[in-house]
Amino acid sequence: MSFFETKWETTTGHVAGIALMFVAVGMFASAVLEALGGTHGASILLAAVLTLVPGASLWLFTRPGQVDRATVFNAVAGTWLVVSAFGALPYLFAGTFQRSGITLPVVFADALFESVSGYSCTGSTIFGSHNLISDQGPGILMYRQFTQWIGGMGIVVLVVTVLPALRASGLGLIGAEAPGAGGDRLAPRMAQTARRFWYLYAGLTALIAVALFAVGMSPFDAVAHAFTTASTGGFSTRDASIGYWDSVAVEMVIMIGLVLGAASFTLHSRTLSSHRPVHLEDPEFRAYIWLLTGSTVLVTLLLCSEGMGPTNALRAAVFNVVTLGTSGGFGNATGPGTNGDFVTWAAGPQMVLLVLLVSGGCTGSTSGGVKVMRLVVGLSHARRTIRSIRYPRAVLLVRHGGSTMAEPLVERIAGFMIIFGILVVSGTLVVAALGTDLVTAFSGVIGSLGNMGPALNKAGPTASFVDGFATPARLVLALLMLIGRLELFPMLLMLVTPYRTLQERFDFHRA
Amino acid sequence: MAARTTIRQWASWTAATAWAVSAALLSIGTLSVCSGLIDLFKQGADSPTLLIMGSAMVFAGILLVGRVQNPDNIRPADVLATTTLGVFLAVLLLAALYLLTGAIQSPDSALFEATTGITTTALSVIDPRDLGYGLRFLRASSQWIGGFAALLTGIIVLPFFGFGREFTDRSNSANHRPLVPDKWSGVRNIALLYIPCTVLVWFGYMLARKAPFEAALLAMSTLSTGGFTNSPTEFADPAVQWVAIAGMILAGSSLVTIWHLVRGGGRPHRQTGLMLYLGLHGVGVLLLALWATGPDLTGLRQGLFVVAASISTTGFPMSVPGNWAPAAPVLLLLLISVGAMSGSAGGGLQVRQHRVLMKLAMREMARQLHPRAVLKVRLAGRIAREETLRQIVVLQFLFVAVVFATALLVAVLGLDLVGALSAAIHATATAGPVRTLSGEIVDPINWPSSVRMALLPAMIFGRLSIYPAVLAIAALVRIVGNRIRPRRRYLARRHRASS
Repeated sequence: MSFFETKWETTTGHVAGIALMFVAVGMFASAVLEALGGTHGASILLAAVLTLVPGASLWLFTRPGQVDRATVFNAVAGTWLVVSAFGALPYLFAGTFQRSGITLPVVFADALFESVSGYSCTGSTIFGSHNLISDQGPGILMYRQFTQWIGGMGIVVLVVTVLPALRASGLGLIGAEAPGAGGDRLAPRMAQTARRFWYLYAGLTALIAVALFAVGMSPFDAVAHAFTTASTGGFSTRDASIGYWDSVAVEMVIMIGLVLGAASFTLHSRTLSSHRPVHLEDPEFRAYIWLLTGSTVLVTLLLCSEGMGPTNALRAAVFNVVTLGTSGGFGNATGPGTNGDFVTWAAGPQMVLLVLLVSGGCTGSTSGGVKVMRLVVGLSHARRTIRSIRYPRAVLLVRHGGSTMAEPLVERIAGFMIIFGILVVSGTLVVAALGTDLVTAFSGVIGSLGNMGPALNKAGPTASFVDGFATPARLVLALLMLIGRLELFPMLLMLVTPYRTLQERFDFHRA
Repeated sequence: MAARTTIRQWASWTAATAWAVSAALLSIGTLSVCSGLIDLFKQGADSPTLLIMGSAMVFAGILLVGRVQNPDNIRPADVLATTTLGVFLAVLLLAALYLLTGAIQSPDSALFEATTGITTTALSVIDPRDLGYGLRFLRASSQWIGGFAALLTGIIVLPFFGFGREFTDRSNSANHRPLVPDKWSGVRNIALLYIPCTVLVWFGYMLARKAPFEAALLAMSTLSTGGFTNSPTEFADPAVQWVAIAGMILAGSSLVTIWHLVRGGGRPHRQTGLMLYLGLHGVGVLLLALWATGPDLTGLRQGLFVVAASISTTGFPMSVPGNWAPAAPVLLLLLISVGAMSGSAGGGLQVRQHRVLMKLAMREMARQLHPRAVLKVRLAGRIAREETLRQIVVLQFLFVAVVFATALLVAVLGLDLVGALSAAIHATATAGPVRTLSGEIVDPINWPSSVRMALLPAMIFGRLSIYPAVLAIAALVRIVGNRIRPRRRYLARRHRASS
């Protein structure tokens, strides 16, 4: 067997290779756009080639191997790390974050931050007054939006659509990447399930793009914002984000798109197959709508009590509640200090937004955060525990909607929330140690772990993360974004497989 | 049958309530009488009020105790709920004493001061220099009795009637006498440790050249983790600082561990909880030296003082001049949230709960790799029951919920975001003093009255380890709900309309 016929058995390498090829396709498309209307077409093309070659090599010279749970975590986390690193190449080669007085490592860190923020659908950005979005060409802008779109549904889900060789382990891969308590099966075969998710996602994106075009956006902006709305990402092609249009109609379309993106795609699928809306039958979605409505009412009242007019207060409140509650992260402030700039609000409404930063959207959606289902089950669990003190001999169950939750699932949810809490606390301390104040660090860490986007205080909707966080702190946040996007465990356990391999190879455990 | 069950429930509820009310009356009444006697001895003006009111309370308490008929079985939930009632009543009685003596003019400030006293939270709106001897004693001893109540709640009430039964120190073995062989012996043993420890710290302060009366007040505040001081310059002397540091570390240590060490049943380095607690001090001092106090000896001493005051949730004030790094206040808030050891008078979520949470996090990681593995959590050599683990997880959930709810409320009522988060954490952990981001101490007298009132429930929740307060509220809601029954009325109306 010749060298070129040899195939190494590595699931991580194989999945990462295919993922890189998908990313390269996006880069090629962006290079074409940039060549048509910008100045960095060649740079993005070079990045595309440098992504495609290793991707294709990995695909050709590897084959998926044994897939146990540790390997699944390693494959998913490894793929995301590789994609995020290669995803920074267009920014690097185009010199997007080059500015006076900063060194090359900082430029690289900024490009990596923007890439991770894009693929993880966080929406935190390096762009600001020092690096205007409006100075960028259409290719870079569309590539930035594309990163969120591809990251929204999940790179690995995309890989599973074209990788039937993974067979049953596809569910594990999707489950490890999907937001929520586990992957849902929409079709008998996992590849079909993954494809159906992507069809739904593409359909929703197209729908939002048409609606945005209809309310006055240019085709370019409409498509770009549809990408980041369906994915609840929050990147925009304008410095003032949605505030640039200052249009209630645009904000309405964005909000509806965000809520649909943050709802379970399984519900969308069931709605399409049964030809009737089933969303309100779902207890999680109902709780989610209640959460958004209650928060909107509360924030509106608080803003009114601060002296803002009722109409302006309602508009600012509903947009910011929806955009943060869905982990979208768009802004409707027309400039610093205007109605939509929530960091200038009083502390009361900001506290409501801080709670929303934690909650996030529904399971099985593109949104981040802890997820409403976990919070609802957590509340039910708390109620059960308190009742068990009152009735020590009663057999009490945790219920969600009309169904009983299995104890292992309740324990998994409790474990997730404990680890989320540990990461928030330790992350806040580390980011604060790197020179960030309490509120910015706390909200930034929660926002990053929940893939929300803007934070409070110095990292608000009109600010750049460069203003609020030092370079090392931004790298910590980028790591938290990836941990949060993969629902904690894949990133935290990704080193188990390499450790086991080393252990077997060198037998150091016995030594 | 149903009627008998109802009568039993009623008997359990009334007996538990009567015990809680009489305990509140007797404890505050006794404190008031003692304070009145001290005031009389020092020829103060508050003695008549304190003596008359105190005697009336003691009389009412004795009368109630004499008339309570214990039923066969008092339900655990009733004991927990009425513990909250007892604490709440003690707060009201103490507030009434402040108002009647004229120490505090407004009811809201009196309520705040009484709550911070009973819950051992180091926040105060009165200047102790304006008070007579009797009232100063009353203020300090209210913390001392609050600390004792916290110990009883943590070591006896919660394990016997609530959660963590396997961690109760009950088992007799050949060379070990337990702290809590049964409820009443437990109360006695706790008093046998708490009182000598207070006396020990009192002597310590006197050795550090404090006047006996001031030293006694300070000792009571130290051992109860209350944090009440006689003057702003209380801790100017390094010798006093060292005594306070030792006292605070002692106060934050588990009484069960101390009992083991005193009775010769264990060695300090074998006590994992104690080692963690002391290690937390070490790490805290190092980080605070790095971020605030500086690495010189004075800075390290001040750092240890601030760290010990935070971890034990005593909250003695110590101004640390210099530039505070942004991480310093975050560190202090973190230490306050972690809190003291379980089985101490300190607040916070406490070290044992954190150990359990860390072990649960590790178990969850292991379960991700081996979903069908049966993994047990061990603590202090014992396997923790799943029920107990669930209760600790929910305790964390409720702690965070109380912090967020309180922060939201005080933010709406006028505090800025940092102040709101900080005040909420301090109140729920029953700690103090609240600091700004630059390390300056905030005086709660500058907060609006509504903010101070909004912090009171968090203090009571935190002091009672949350569960008793939640059960009390649940009982209250049930009583009110049974009175109103809107849902039942609504369903009946709908049923009538449909038929």
